[in-house]
Amino acid sequence: MKHNEYKQLLQLSLFGELKSEEQLKLKEHLLTCEECRTELEDQKNLLELISGKKKAAVDEKVLSAARYQLRGALRSERSSNNILNSIADNIFQYFTTPLKYAFAGAALLIIGVVIGGIFFNKSSQTEFTGQQNGDNRFASLSEDISISNVRFIDSDASDGEVEFTFQASRPVRLKGSINDQQIQSVLTYAMLNEQNPGSRLNSINAMDAETPVQYDNDVKNALITVIMTDENPGVRREALKLMSKFPYDETVKQTLLYVITNDTVSGLRIEALNSLIEAGSQGYKLNQDDLNLFRQKLQQDENPYIKLRSRTILQEYN
Amino acid sequence: MQLSDTDLIIQAQKGNQNAFEELVYRYDRNVLSITIKYANNEDDAKDLYQEVFIRVYRSIKSFRFQSEFSTWLFRITTNVCLTYKSRSKEHLKVSIDKEFDDDENEFSTTKELVYDGSSPEEISSDANLGEIVNAAVESLSPKQKMTFVLKHYEGYKIREIAEMLNCKEGTVKKYLFDATKNLRKKLSPVYA
Repeated sequence: MKHNEYKQLLQLSLFGELKSEEQLKLKEHLLTCEECRTELEDQKNLLELISGKKKAAVDEKVLSAARYQLRGALRSERSSNNILNSIADNIFQYFTTPLKYAFAGAALLIIGVVIGGIFFNKSSQTEFTGQQNGDNRFASLSEDISISNVRFIDSDASDGEVEFTFQASRPVRLKGSINDQQIQSVLTYAMLNEQNPGSRLNSINAMDAETPVQYDNDVKNALITVIMTDENPGVRREALKLMSKFPYDETVKQTLLYVITNDTVSGLRIEALNSLIEAGSQGYKLNQDDLNLFRQKLQQDENPYIKLRSRTILQEYN
Repeated sequence: MQLSDTDLIIQAQKGNQNAFEELVYRYDRNVLSITIKYANNEDDAKDLYQEVFIRVYRSIKSFRFQSEFSTWLFRITTNVCLTYKSRSKEHLKVSIDKEFDDDENEFSTTKELVYDGSSPEEISSDANLGEIVNAAVESLSPKQKMTFVLKHYEGYKIREIAEMLNCKEGTVKKYLFDATKNLRKKLSPVYA
């Protein structure tokens, strides 16, 4: 065995990876090789130095915080999926009723352009052919439809026919009660997916009616997603405000705790903290995990008000 | 009676959230331990931990029981770690201007903070020593660091690390030897 190979055995030996016969061979070599003995000492010293970083166990508080954040992220993941599936179901059920069958083709096309691309991985494409629809095939494309992205599949008109795809969209006007499920579906979709933060904010505010509203469960799930993930603090704040209209339950509590733990805007953390304290004053209890979170906030949060309120909560529960 | 991993996976694949959470809690301590030592920063470690389990959640339905769940999970963990970009660069003790050195198969740093010629008295303080060691480990290439963390800090066998990284045992040994060589180069002024 070459000298360099013994050096590798040295390392493997320190890592406890040598078979007994290899260990024996190395031991014999060390008796006669001064260089390898020095090398062994050197490597031992190195590992000893580095082992200071070796930690026996994960800090329970860190684990608890990581689990907490994960629960929020999973909830967000689930609600996001549920909302999209539910909205898609709602809208497609609406448009495929037999009485509106004639309208469905155009509607599908519009939905495909406006929101279908986000609902589905595959792009929706409505096929019009002379054989299927005769001269009426463009009847649904009225003047207010804008056409874009014309792409040719067959642009050779030598046989008298061409084939192409295009996208068509037109504004859709919807008026109705905020209790209407379709209205809520569209607004829910908008609060989650509109690129413009102003539109997301308006969609949330539109649902914040002064009269009592029967909210669909998807609205609540969407609000939670917005509160946890929207990049715009104003949108998150409005979502938080609207969520206060929902009955306080475990999901609401977890969302508030998520904001307190993770939101970078102290104003929102304070708002969530106040909502939680308010719920506490109405008899809702916090469990040990929640209290641990406040202990952490008390130590780590940079905002003195949050520290103060966290201390108050802990004192009340002790 | 406690359900087996297989039972929990089947339940989770059917959409049972409690089963998924139970599965998470069986292994998440180990995952977090790896991410903390790899990222060397609690916030990043928590992000990595979350990313791992979100990926597991998204792909649990495609798990086909061709390996142990733990092997699959730790493979995802190492993948996530190896591709991670720190969200907060401030904690890095070494310069982020790293250049890959093909010959040495390591990341060389443009700013050597590993050993800056401090006097022995300065080095001897635990805080300084800890920083120097951290910086040396941070200066390793991602795969060297990953194998070093898994072997030295987490105590996995080379065979297990090879399964996690989906490579041969010889490759893992090579990463370990290179990691040790680089660490010695960086740290010998401190411990020699």
